[in-house]
Amino acid sequence: MNALATSLRMAVTAMLRQRLRSMLTSVGISIGVAAVVLVAALGTGARGEIDKQIQSLGSNVIFVFSQPATKSGAKSRANMGMGLTERDAEAIRREATAVTAVTVYSEVSAQVMSELGNGKIGVMGVDESYFEVRGYEVASGRRFNESEAQTKAKVALIAPTAQQKLFGNQDPVGRWVRVGKHPFRVIGTLRSKGQSPFEDQDDRILIPIGTWRSRVVPTLGDRVQLVMASAKSAEHSGEAERQVKQILMQRHQIAEGEEPDFRVGTQQEFQKMQEGIFTVLTVLLLSVAAISLLVGGVGVMNIMLVGVTERTREIGIRMAIGAKPADIQAQFLLESIALTLFGGLAGIALATGLMLAFAKDLGFPMQLSGQAVAVALGTSAAIGLTFGFWPARRAAHLDPIEALRHE
Amino acid sequence: MSALIRLRGVCKDYMSGPEVVHALVDVELEIGAGELVAVVGASGSGKSTLMNILGCLDRPTRGRYELAGIDVTERSTDQRALVRNRLIGFVFQGFNLLPRTTALENVELPLVYRGVSTRERFRRAAHALAQVGLADRAHHTPAQLSGGQQQRVAIARALVTNPPLLLADEPTGNLDTRTSHEVLGLLQELSEQHGITVMIVTHETDIAACTRRIITVRDGRIFRDEPNAARPAAAVESRP
Repeated sequence: MNALATSLRMAVTAMLRQRLRSMLTSVGISIGVAAVVLVAALGTGARGEIDKQIQSLGSNVIFVFSQPATKSGAKSRANMGMGLTERDAEAIRREATAVTAVTVYSEVSAQVMSELGNGKIGVMGVDESYFEVRGYEVASGRRFNESEAQTKAKVALIAPTAQQKLFGNQDPVGRWVRVGKHPFRVIGTLRSKGQSPFEDQDDRILIPIGTWRSRVVPTLGDRVQLVMASAKSAEHSGEAERQVKQILMQRHQIAEGEEPDFRVGTQQEFQKMQEGIFTVLTVLLLSVAAISLLVGGVGVMNIMLVGVTERTREIGIRMAIGAKPADIQAQFLLESIALTLFGGLAGIALATGLMLAFAKDLGFPMQLSGQAVAVALGTSAAIGLTFGFWPARRAAHLDPIEALRHE
Repeated sequence: MSALIRLRGVCKDYMSGPEVVHALVDVELEIGAGELVAVVGASGSGKSTLMNILGCLDRPTRGRYELAGIDVTERSTDQRALVRNRLIGFVFQGFNLLPRTTALENVELPLVYRGVSTRERFRRAAHALAQVGLADRAHHTPAQLSGGQQQRVAIARALVTNPPLLLADEPTGNLDTRTSHEVLGLLQELSEQHGITVMIVTHETDIAACTRRIITVRDGRIFRDEPNAARPAAAVESRP
């Protein structure tokens, strides 16, 4: 142990003697280790965030989008991508047994004004089930009731981001907002839902779908952009998806094997898609890590070989006064490990800096875990050991007489 | 009392291209404890080869080498490193101190490979430096020391392990006359007062004249081996 401590001190001294060289040599290792640390941090931060975002969509939700069906290159019939209607939703509600709730919505981004401010905000037409299916909760005030929905009343609920834009810190309940030429009374505010995989779910106001169709976008008839259905449970979501598909195929008179004018997606699919993106990012970073570590390792090997040549005489002296080949080998291995560990520490610092700098832009927390640090340092040491082995072996096998004669 | 060094029929052959060079031929040699010996000879005479073999840095092609009663001829690399560490101190012409390393650390180095504790290393290294009169230069690096001082640090490094044998290869070759005297005087003192066997390789006859026995090597053989009435180092005549 005493010998090891002495050797370690010698290794660090040797490294510090060539500060610039050591720093340049360890840059490759630093970048590689930073990439490793970022991957680990993404692993802890991003996965949790993806789950949270997917959960924020509601639970066991099935989404039905309309999509323009193409036949022989031409878009078919009156179907320009708005093929879903409110009657489709009613049919699903009636017939699909694995589904508990069905809701529809249409959304348009519009300039919304209040007496205090204005902004480009999502105006969503929704029915009463929407709140359940998507898990929106009322923070203050109330939802619109059935009679307001039927009479196409001009009432709105406002989500936090939109509320901030339009009213700042003022309480909006009871005040008025204007969409186009129509004033809406704010009857309630919503709790924050945060970021979904697609958008800021808080930058919007919710109005009854009937009102939306007659006042905001009067040209669409009873067509809707999206139908959402809640499956009874996670186990039922496959069955629910099949039922929804079947009902819509029938209603839209689409034969088996023909391309439908709608697309059904489940929450699980979104999750998979998100995780796919995450996997791509991980693979990318790990490739950067692998290449940097390889190139960095070769750099370390190169500089260690240079060091062995430069210090041939020193090696000869050490051998003459009693260093065994194993002592010399250990000395140079320790030096290369000290070099890569230094690179590793710099890499951890670099990764931490990047995380702090970009945490806001990424919108989710990345944490430097003890595990990541351990993996990073372990990797660095392993690189030092691997790429230092051959130079160290070469030093250990020098002939002391030749080495002493070396100029 | 048995000899410290005993060479029996030692030969050393080298391959120089296709030709075999007989660097040493049937060398028989015995040197006792505490002797002060000079090995002289022209360059190429084989005296360096002899020193390398005596220093356990090289192995004889044939023959047998016993050091302090141990047959070291057929020892492994590791065992020979151990022999060098325990039984032999080296002093070189070019000092061969580690650069940018303090005198004290240089002197400690042989003890590092012996696994001596830090405190004990410091104590013994400081003592060895005091023995060569450099206690006050312990924290100077070689670049901050004169040639004579550097060579004395090298001698302290050779002494720190208390070896029975000290091999000095042209120890005064890089020194001026006055410092040569100092270094030579120190080597004489080590032999006479501490009973260390000191072997000095030199091609200068006046240096050899300060020893008690002069061995002349020529063409790989011991050409002459005769006792000498050693003069004190101070009596060495000034060289140009």
